[in-house]
Amino acid sequence: MIDFNSVGGAFSLLTSDWSAWIYLIPGLIIGLFFGAMPGISITMAMAIFLPMTLYMDFLPAIIFLTSIYTGAGFGGSVPAVLMNIPGTSSAVATTFDGYPMARSGQHNKALGIALASSVIGTLSSYILLFVLIAPISRVVLKMGPLELFFVAAWGLMLLGSLAGRSLARGLLAGVFGVLLGTVGMNTAGFIRGTMGVPWLLDGIPTIPAMMGLLAASQLLGLINTTYLVEDEASRKISFRQIVSGLRQAISYPAIILRGAVIGILVGAIPGVGSSISNLLSYSETKRNAPDGDTFGQGNPKGVIAAEAANSSSEGGAMATMLALGIPGGGATAILLAAFAMHNIVGGPSFIGHNKDIVYAIIFSNFAQAVLLLMVGLGFVYIAGYVVRVPLRYLIPTILVVSTFGSYAIDGTSSGPITLFVFSLLGWAMVRYGYPVAATVVGLLLGGLLESNLLRTYQVSGGDPAYALERPGALLILAIMVVSVTITAVSKARRRAGDAAVGQQKPAPKA
Amino acid sequence: MKKAITRRRMLQLTSGGVAAATLGTPSILRAQESYPDRPINIVVPFDTGGYNDRLARAFAPFLQEKLGQPLTVINRGGAGAMLGHTYFLQQPDDGYTILCTSAAPYIPLNILTQDATFTVEDFHMINLPSRDYTLMATSAGSDLTSADDVIARLKEDNSSLSIGIQPASADLVNLMLLCDANDISREGLRLVTYDGGGPTRNATAGGVVDIGLVGGEGFLPLAEQITPLIVFDTRQRDGWDAALITDVAGEDAEFVVGSQRGWGVHASMLENHPDRYEILAAAVEEASKNPAAIEALKNQQLATDWYGPEESNKSLAATARVMQQHVDLLQGT
Repeated sequence: MIDFNSVGGAFSLLTSDWSAWIYLIPGLIIGLFFGAMPGISITMAMAIFLPMTLYMDFLPAIIFLTSIYTGAGFGGSVPAVLMNIPGTSSAVATTFDGYPMARSGQHNKALGIALASSVIGTLSSYILLFVLIAPISRVVLKMGPLELFFVAAWGLMLLGSLAGRSLARGLLAGVFGVLLGTVGMNTAGFIRGTMGVPWLLDGIPTIPAMMGLLAASQLLGLINTTYLVEDEASRKISFRQIVSGLRQAISYPAIILRGAVIGILVGAIPGVGSSISNLLSYSETKRNAPDGDTFGQGNPKGVIAAEAANSSSEGGAMATMLALGIPGGGATAILLAAFAMHNIVGGPSFIGHNKDIVYAIIFSNFAQAVLLLMVGLGFVYIAGYVVRVPLRYLIPTILVVSTFGSYAIDGTSSGPITLFVFSLLGWAMVRYGYPVAATVVGLLLGGLLESNLLRTYQVSGGDPAYALERPGALLILAIMVVSVTITAVSKARRRAGDAAVGQQKPAPKA
Repeated sequence: MKKAITRRRMLQLTSGGVAAATLGTPSILRAQESYPDRPINIVVPFDTGGYNDRLARAFAPFLQEKLGQPLTVINRGGAGAMLGHTYFLQQPDDGYTILCTSAAPYIPLNILTQDATFTVEDFHMINLPSRDYTLMATSAGSDLTSADDVIARLKEDNSSLSIGIQPASADLVNLMLLCDANDISREGLRLVTYDGGGPTRNATAGGVVDIGLVGGEGFLPLAEQITPLIVFDTRQRDGWDAALITDVAGEDAEFVVGSQRGWGVHASMLENHPDRYEILAAAVEEASKNPAAIEALKNQQLATDWYGPEESNKSLAATARVMQQHVDLLQGT
C-alpha cells in the first residue's frame, strides 16, 4: 500500500526546496483568523487566496492552501467555545460542551482541549490517509443513497441526547429542523416552502440560520449578565490552564481515535463531510461515556469528540480528491482549481504518476499539524481575552460581526435577514424550553436525509429487497444497531447497580 | 510638544478634501471616454470551483491583458444560476459588469421553470466557447458494454435499469428523445435524480446507478472508471470510444446540445454603449485566439474556441426553442 520509492522522492521534494516551507505558518495564521470569523467559511478563505497561488510553484501553492484548510478547520472552534457561534457548520457540536465550559470559567482549558484534539485529529487522519488512500478511493464512489441515508439517520440519533429535560420537546424541535432542512428545490426538481422567494430555492442558508439559533438566542438571554464568565476569579487568561487542557485531551485517546475514524470516513464521502462527522462523533461519544448525562453541561469529552472528528474530515476529503479527482466539498473544489491553475488534473492518473507529490502533500500536512499546535497556542491565548470584555460591549460586537459575516457568505441581504429571523426564533424556542441545538441538527441533516431517501426509492423502484443488494448499507445499519444495543444494555446494568446501592442508602434527590 | 488637532484644523482638512474631490471629478469623467478606465467585474452565477468559475479565472488574465484593466470574479451562486443572472441584469449595462455563465441550459431553465423576470433576449452572448454534450455512460465494471445493450434492455423492460440524471436538464430531454426514437415508453423509467453533474457522475462511476446521462466534459477526470456508451453529438468528442447519437437513432436524430458556456453582456449595452461593446467584443476575440490562452486553457480542459456573437446567440436561441417545446419534461420529475 505504501510505495517507499515515492516516499523517498517526497522527502527529496520537500527538502530540496525551502519555498515549500515558508508558506506553512502564514497559511495557518490566515486560516485561523478567517476560520474564527463567523460566516467566513473554510472555502471562502481558500478562494480569497487562490489567485495568489498562481505565482507560486505547484507544491508550495498546494501546501499554502492546505495550511489555510488546516488552520481554518481549527479556527472555527474558537468562536464556538467562546461565544457559542459555530464559525463553520463543522463546529456545531463543539458549541454543545465548549460554550458551557467557557461560561463556567474553563475557557482556557476548553480551548486547549479543542486545539489538542484538532491537532491529533488532523495528524491521525493524514496517517490513515497515508496508508488507506487506495482502498478509500475504491469505496467512496460506491456509496449509494441507502448508505448515505443510514449515515444521516445515525446523525439524527443525536436528537435524543440533545433533548434535555423533555424528550417530546427535543424531538419536536428536531423534526422542525428537518422540515426546515427540506425547504427549497428538492432533488427531483419540486419546489417546496419557498413562499415564492428565489433565495430560498437552495434551501435556508445554513450558516446564518445556525448563528441565529445558537448564538443570537443565547446572547439575548445574557442581557442582564455583566461578563461571560460570572466568577471574577476565573476570568483570567492562563497559559497553564491551556496546557492542562492539551494534556487532558491526550488522556482520552479512545475518543480521539473514534473521532478520527468517523471523521475520515465521513469526510471522504463527497457532499457529506465535516459538518456531519462532528455530530456523529459527539453522539457516539456521549452514548458510550459513563458520564453521558453531563454532556451538554461542559463535559470536556464532548469537545474532544467534536474537534477530533471535524479536523480529521480534512484528511478524508483529501483522500477522495487526490485519488479520484472529485471534490468532496467546497475546500477540495478550490484545491482542484489550484491543481488546474498549474495545469495538473487530479484523479487516478495523477496519483498513479505523481505518488511522490501526493506523499509530499501528506508529509507537509504532518508538519502543519505540529505547527498548528504552536501557532494555535498563541492564537487561543489571545482569543481568550474575550472573556474579559464586559458583555455590554461584547454582545453588540458579536451581533454586528455575525451580521457582517452572514452578509459576507454570498454578499446579499439574504444572510442578515435569515440571521434576524432565526435569532427571534431561537430566542422564542429558548424562552419556551425547546432545545435549539436539536433544530440545528435537524436543519443540517434534513436535506441529506430527504434526498437520499427519495433516491433510494427511485433506484429501488420501491422494492425493499434492494437493501439486500447493498451490503455496505446493511453493515452501517448493523453497526448502528449493535452500538445502540450495547449502550442500552450497559446503561440498564449501570442503573441496576445504582438502584442496588440506592437500596442500602437512600440517594439524595437530584 | 503636544499637537492636538483642533476643530478649526479639522474643518480645514475636511474642506480641503472636499475641494480636492471636486477638482478631481472632471478628470474621472474625462477618462471615462476611453473604456475601460477602471476594473471590470465578471459575474459568475455559480459557486467557486465549477466550470464557469474555472473558465472565468483562467481566461481573465488574457482578457485583462487586452483590456488593460484588472478583472474581478464575483461568484453569485444559487438557485440554478437564477440569482446570479438576476443580479447581473440589475447591474448597469456600462460594460463594467460582464457575465460568464452556462447560458444554456440555465437562462432558458430560469425562464421556463423558475418564473424568472427576464427573457433570453435580455442577454447578449459575445462568445460561447464551451459546448458540452450529453454522455451516456456506465460504470467500468458494468455488464452493459454498448448502446445497443442499453436499448435492448430498456425495450424489454423500461424499468430494468436505474438511470442517474439531473432533473430539468438537457440530458433528460435527450433521454426522452432517445426513448421516443426507440419506442420505449417514457412512463415507468427508473430515474434517479441528482442535484448536480458531479454527484450524477460519481453515482455512475461507482455503479450506484446502472447508467447515467450527464455533461460529458466533466467525465474526463473519471475516464478510467466509466464505459462511455452514447455521445449526444454529430461528431466524436473528447476521444470517447462511444456510439454517436446519429449512429443509434439515425442521421436525423433529434437531440439537444448540452451546456453552452461563455461570455455575455446586457443586450441593452449594444444600444447604450455600442463603442464600448466593440472594444469588449474585440478584446474577447483577440484573447480567445491568443495561442498562450489556448494552450493554458486546453491544459485545464477549458474551451477557448471563437464562435463569435452571431453564432453564439443563434445557438442559444435554438436551444431555448427546443427546451420550450419540451417544457413539460423540465418541470419536476
